[in-house]
Amino acid sequence: MSLTLYLGCVIRTVQPEVEKAVKETLSRIGVSFREQPEASCCAPSWFFSLSREAWLRLNDRNMRLLNSTVVTACDDCFASLNDAFRILAETRGVRPPDVKPFQTLLLERLREVKPRLGFKGLRCAVQHSCRFLRPRGRGLDNPEDPKMVKSVLETLGFLPVSYDGELNCCGGFVSDEKVGGEMARLKAGSAEKAGADCIVATCSHCMLRLSPVSRIPVLHLAQLSAFSLGSDPLQIGLPESLLRRVVKR
Amino acid sequence: MKKGAGNPLRCMQCGSCTSACPVNTIREDFNPRRMVGSIARFNRLPDQDPWLCSTCSLCTDRCPQAVNPFSIIMALRAVVYENGGEAPAGILRMVEQVRETGLALPLTPESLERRRLLGLPEVGLSSEGLSEVRRILSEAGFK
Repeated sequence: MSLTLYLGCVIRTVQPEVEKAVKETLSRIGVSFREQPEASCCAPSWFFSLSREAWLRLNDRNMRLLNSTVVTACDDCFASLNDAFRILAETRGVRPPDVKPFQTLLLERLREVKPRLGFKGLRCAVQHSCRFLRPRGRGLDNPEDPKMVKSVLETLGFLPVSYDGELNCCGGFVSDEKVGGEMARLKAGSAEKAGADCIVATCSHCMLRLSPVSRIPVLHLAQLSAFSLGSDPLQIGLPESLLRRVVKR
Repeated sequence: MKKGAGNPLRCMQCGSCTSACPVNTIREDFNPRRMVGSIARFNRLPDQDPWLCSTCSLCTDRCPQAVNPFSIIMALRAVVYENGGEAPAGILRMVEQVRETGLALPLTPESLERRRLLGLPEVGLSSEGLSEVRRILSEAGFK
């Protein structure tokens, strides 16, 4: 299977360990990929809400450059590319390129590839990203009772935990820091209260919003998948405290 | 109404959007029902900050009338901006960063070093690519 990996801005500029983890995971599940360094920012909601024209035109350029099935590792990139490609393709009467979120691809491949290690006991609170679940027409997962990331975690040997407010938005894109920060604090606090060892996200913006206010580590799903598939934990940014906890159990 | 925005005229002011809105639980003055109502009933721009929206789209999922309050709020942001209104400084900084490098955030020396240690490839558009991005932004009306 060959596809183009689109990592977007946040992962490449501030979360290089996530990039490493995504690439390690893809290699370990037998997915070959290429990258397209000429692709620009996907111009997500904040951009789109200033200029729909700029959003569509930047992604017209991205669509031309990416030119195959695209896999994303941030759900904000996923939604922006996917939605723009659909609109652009529709106006031209052609089929849009497939855009696949990392977790969807991972779940498909994990049916065939058995993870090498299992870490039963690491309790994970899933941060379900709004962009992946909604609007409901996306049909990738049930927006009122999402299962996909939890299934991936279970297959990898982790233990998903439920928590109060699990489906709430993390406040990632609220431009008022006080309001957005409060939404994130409530969410992270509730995950911790439910006994989670870490929060697991599939959107870089959720990670940026939750990390500064969470007392438990906020990880990208790829960091756990790479770990479970045998990657060196230090290369993929897994906190030592978390590893110690896993070993102890 | 803006292209791509929903239809405020279908709104029957039931409030499903506001009761679903996660921002409203923290800031009661942010009220999607009232925002849509002020457009549909009074043909007036709402006096609320559309940038408080978390863009979670739950309002749109819960709306029984297919009004799509989310896209209406997004369109409001554009209308306010195009008419000389404010957009948050952090957002404008990201637009400026896209114009500069094609990406929304800068590559700091610290992140470049982390990338190097992890053996990750270089990041950045060619000068031709950047000119294309800049042309798109100025033609779309970014000053």
